Amino acid sequence: MKLRPKVLLVDDDADLVKVMRGALESKAYEVIVAYNGQEGLEKAKKEKPDLVVLDIMMPVVDGFIFASEFRKDPSLAKVPVIALTSFSESLGQPFPFEVSEYVRKPIRPKDLVAKVEEFLKRRGSQT
Amino acid sequence: MKRDSGAEQDVTEYAPEERGLMLRLRVYVSMRWLAILGVLASTVTASKVFHIGFPTTPVYVICAVIASYNLLMSRWATGLKGQRTEVVLRKAETYANIQIFLDLATLTVLLHFTGGIENPFLFLYLIHTTAAGMVLPRRRAYELTTLAMLMATLLVFLEYAGAIPHVNLEGFVLPYRYTQSSRVVGVLAALAALMYTSTYVTTAVSGELRKRKREVVRLRDQLLAKKTGEVEQISSEVTKLEDERHHFVRFLGVVAHDLQSPLVATQSLLTYILDGYTGEITEGQTDLMQRGVRRIDGLLTLISDLLDIPRIEAGEITREMRDISLNEVVRRSVEGLESLARQKGVALKVELPQTSPEVHASARRMQQVATNLVSNAINYTREGGVLVRVTESESGALVEVIDTGIGILPGDLPRLFADFFRGSNVQSKGTGLGLSISKRIIEAHGGKIWAESPCRETGKGSRFAFSLPKRVAVPHTEPGQPREGGQEANSKGGNHT
Repeated sequence: MKLRPKVLLVDDDADLVKVMRGALESKAYEVIVAYNGQEGLEKAKKEKPDLVVLDIMMPVVDGFIFASEFRKDPSLAKVPVIALTSFSESLGQPFPFEVSEYVRKPIRPKDLVAKVEEFLKRRGSQT
Repeated sequence: MKRDSGAEQDVTEYAPEERGLMLRLRVYVSMRWLAILGVLASTVTASKVFHIGFPTTPVYVICAVIASYNLLMSRWATGLKGQRTEVVLRKAETYANIQIFLDLATLTVLLHFTGGIENPFLFLYLIHTTAAGMVLPRRRAYELTTLAMLMATLLVFLEYAGAIPHVNLEGFVLPYRYTQSSRVVGVLAALAALMYTSTYVTTAVSGELRKRKREVVRLRDQLLAKKTGEVEQISSEVTKLEDERHHFVRFLGVVAHDLQSPLVATQSLLTYILDGYTGEITEGQTDLMQRGVRRIDGLLTLISDLLDIPRIEAGEITREMRDISLNEVVRRSVEGLESLARQKGVALKVELPQTSPEVHASARRMQQVATNLVSNAINYTREGGVLVRVTESESGALVEVIDTGIGILPGDLPRLFADFFRGSNVQSKGTGLGLSISKRIIEAHGGKIWAESPCRETGKGSRFAFSLPKRVAVPHTEPGQPREGGQEANSKGGNHT
């Protein structure tokens, strides 16, 4: 595992991004931000993040399209993706693609950091 | 008779406009067989019983001729089956004309060999003209009558003039009467009068009938067109309504998202400060922030609940229904509430059958109901525990949530599942919509939801239950749905939340 794991945040809500970025950076993660799915895919391919936090409801390219495109890249196929679903959606019904975990909004920044740490630790112990 | 009804059944293979014509052709064929029998019978009777002298051989020959063209005609009629409508119509018309002509010609020849004007059967022409008057258009009927009249006149005139020999009916009439001009003229005049009169009467009656039939057909077509128009209009309205409903549900989804997004962001900003990312905050500040977070939580739930009602009523659930495991749904709900139960010091117990009941349902909506019932039970229980139990019976699946909590006042039970109802013995935090939404969800699945307090089994707290109809019938015996006992609120009334 790298010293500073890279987390890609894909969300169109600037306020949420600010909060999530602040919380993650306080734990010494390197945070890359994308405000829509298209931008997220470009940055994912270039930066090769260790984990992705992905909003589902986004303009241009939404989380569904992002995730399926993302998984097509062999170098990204095993990167954990934590998906954020809007309040009205539920966790009961899995979305039809490979996402590591679904988290319903709103999520406390502290809880998000804990989730990210949990995934990266699991991943680190595997490799 | 039998032949006729048989013919009527057979013609159903033809197009409607062909049917009448084909039926007529067949009736003519069977009538002709009867006519042959009649001719043979009267010939035998005349010669053997009344000893009237005339050569019978030509009669038999003519009968044979009639029989052979009759066979040919019925063969032709059968051969028309399966051909194109206009071809059938044209050919059948031709065959009918040929038959009419042949019938008149053979009748004339037959009369010639059986006494000409002396034969009382001269009036057989009347049968032809009557039949023609019934089925042919007026003009054609008169043409046919005239043709028959011409043939009869020609026969009588030729015999009268001695151009062809006259067969005398020996022992029946005097041999010279056919030369008596007054008689010849009289008989022909009578024949003409009778034939034209019968043609007039029959064409008048059948013309009227045809007019009526056309009127009926016209009215039927009119009615059919009107009804077809109505059906088309209704189906286009249904399509429009379905479109509108679909748009409405999508619209509500966008509304939910757009109303909730700023609240979610605001709450995240508050919790960011609360969690100390911006530096230490005082206890007073923390308290105020927490109050803010809770109010936003309440508003998020209210928005979600308010928008849920029209979404459920617009039939959103039907599209989400799959075959799902009820155990899995309950397990997920309970897992999500374990921390709340721990926090409240309430023991949370789950009893699931070994094989999960399969139900056809929306997984997220089922989970919403289970979560609503279990979280209510936890929230209104101060000491003791909450039991969640899934059982399966012949008729379906049953989910029960039993608590040892504060219970429901008897007066509140009937209104428990009503919109915005809050129990009078609780300081409510909820929207008052949780149970009414649960009721809508369960009923949209064809199930029932009800509550009793105190719980009949434990004698305290309350018991909420819902049943779902089974998708696939699996023989399995489990205690069925309990009947009566305690006080029950049968899916009517308010909220515990």
